[in-house]
Amino acid sequence: MSSSSSSSDEEGQWVPLRSRPEFSDVIPVEQDDGPNPVVPITYKEEFRETMDYFRALYKADERSLRALNLTSEAIQFNPGNYTVWHFRRLVLEALNHDLHDELALTEHIAQGNSKNYQLWHHRRWVAEKLGTSATTEELRFTKNILSIDAKHYHAWSHRQWVLQALGGWEDELDYCHQLLEEDIFNNSAWNQRYFVITRFLGGLKAMRESEVCYTLNAIVARPENESSWRYLRGLYKDDNSSWVNNPQISSVCLEILNAKTNCVFALSTLLDLISHGFQPSQEFADAVDALRISDSEQRDSDVAKAACFVLESVDPFRANYWQWYKNKHFQNA
Amino acid sequence: MESEPFEREKHVTFLEMMYRLLPHQYQTQEINRLTLAYFVVSGLDLLRALHRIDKDAVADWVLSLQARPSDSDQVNNGQFYGFYGSRSSQFSPQDDNNGASSSGISNLASTYCALAILKIIGYDLSSIDSESLLKSMRNLQQPDGSFMPIHTGAETDLRFVYCAAAICHMLGNWSGMDKERAKEYIINCQSYDGGFGLTPGAESHGGAIYCGITSLRLMGFLEEDVLSKNVSSSIVNVPLLLVWCLQRQAADGGFQGRPNKPSDTCYAFWIVSVLKILGGHKLIDQKALRGFLITCQSQYGGFSKFPGDLPDLYHSYYGFTAFSLLEEPGLNPLCVELGMTDLAAIGI
Repeated sequence: MSSSSSSSDEEGQWVPLRSRPEFSDVIPVEQDDGPNPVVPITYKEEFRETMDYFRALYKADERSLRALNLTSEAIQFNPGNYTVWHFRRLVLEALNHDLHDELALTEHIAQGNSKNYQLWHHRRWVAEKLGTSATTEELRFTKNILSIDAKHYHAWSHRQWVLQALGGWEDELDYCHQLLEEDIFNNSAWNQRYFVITRFLGGLKAMRESEVCYTLNAIVARPENESSWRYLRGLYKDDNSSWVNNPQISSVCLEILNAKTNCVFALSTLLDLISHGFQPSQEFADAVDALRISDSEQRDSDVAKAACFVLESVDPFRANYWQWYKNKHFQNA
Repeated sequence: MESEPFEREKHVTFLEMMYRLLPHQYQTQEINRLTLAYFVVSGLDLLRALHRIDKDAVADWVLSLQARPSDSDQVNNGQFYGFYGSRSSQFSPQDDNNGASSSGISNLASTYCALAILKIIGYDLSSIDSESLLKSMRNLQQPDGSFMPIHTGAETDLRFVYCAAAICHMLGNWSGMDKERAKEYIINCQSYDGGFGLTPGAESHGGAIYCGITSLRLMGFLEEDVLSKNVSSSIVNVPLLLVWCLQRQAADGGFQGRPNKPSDTCYAFWIVSVLKILGGHKLIDQKALRGFLITCQSQYGGFSKFPGDLPDLYHSYYGFTAFSLLEEPGLNPLCVELGMTDLAAIGI
């Protein structure tokens, strides 16, 4: 987003730097690739020339307005080049330039390609300088990106940094809920729930009851959703006895097993509970038995072993794992 | 699908083409040219075709990208004296004034790639001036144990902890980093679901897990093959991580980087590498993975990210590593921790 009007002519065509009067005194510095360069790149003319002029201003350490404008152009062509971004920051500081323009620049570049670490680092640098006055804007910006790609890793990373450094976490759990309403399979949103409850809302123990309730509803709605099961388990991190002793959990597993569809995670969770001391009742034995694929298979009195057999069939990509698990946990498998 | 051939010759030709000339679509990656060179060199080595490059020319070019302090510089002036990713971050300080901005900015990731390339082509790493490299690398380590890739300021995350650990390992010298602090950072990146995010609190991600686990392994904090040895780790929840990794094999046979995301060629490397370290890589469905990877194999040579896309160097390289992990005939075995063939890692 160059504020120089001469970067393009009346027809919107790019004007070579050598034709622009404001750069007439600059001697461009070509890249010296050496005698036998490896993986040489076929640079396009505009790219090459812009970088040649950048090199000249960088070497001269010219922290001027035209240098600022040139870095805008160089960034558009080459947004991964951290030397250009770094120099831009030096120029911004030297000119004491209004940093709000940077928010607009980064937003513009993000429209082209938002999966660029340098862009996000620059955004963070600006936000750090602007402080809490930037909080609302940063949350809006990341929300915008997430509305296009709700799992955007950079956006989530930046958002987590904003919440920790600048605040604004009060509505975050609600935002996670909105995202999960749109897509209950959004693992990033589940992860953000965990982030919020552990860092801002009092921690696992304080939030466990309400979160377990929330998660079990999600599980019952879509039992094939790995994210919700992992989140549920995560709520009991470092507290296996509470995990085993919550009857709601085994009860939901049973419900899903009896429904006979999408049982994989219910079965593996049952195995997990049993490995931590849960004693399955006859109801569980019957439910697992009802899932046996073949009647000719021997009915196993051990619920856990029987569950492993079922999993080998219903979770075929992990059949090797379930066999291994069975052999490891049950001596006479 | 899974019985279709791995087109080794086409892949070698693809890499040779990239070695000679990269099309303009790669210009936005030019800051990391060394990384692109690494993909080519390591890829050719995996495909048993390293003889197709001029090793001396490669060594000369890589070494020309090393940052060296001038006589008057103190190595603790805060700058990092590693390797530049390309000429576009390389500026010689003696050219002009003494403004810090006019000097080059070398990069941890490029340094890893440079050393890896040199090791692969058989260059003796002990003849590199590693003193200023390692001393100045310590300046990149943050109070929380993470690493910044460049001294002028950048994001800090697990990727650069990995680069630092691999660099120290290759140079046989751990003075470049505080291992304990790095270990603490990695542990803090462990997520509630057993995986690792790139930063503490971030979502578990295949690439992050690779960086975390290989770093622990390289630093000596994780025993090899914990699953077979029936031991547990005090710092990593191995059973949970195992299950998380195996669950990444999706219905199309490929591996996804995170739950409920599409499969992508490169995660076959990141995830299966971790499984190999833990001793569980045989637990995957190898046939199904091969089947998926074949759909990403390009008729032009190389691999794409998703089935049917055009190939790119990054996904091609990780496609080759995945086939090596699947023990495809004609490929060299892989040292997953260092990202090169076993032979290169050992130094034969």
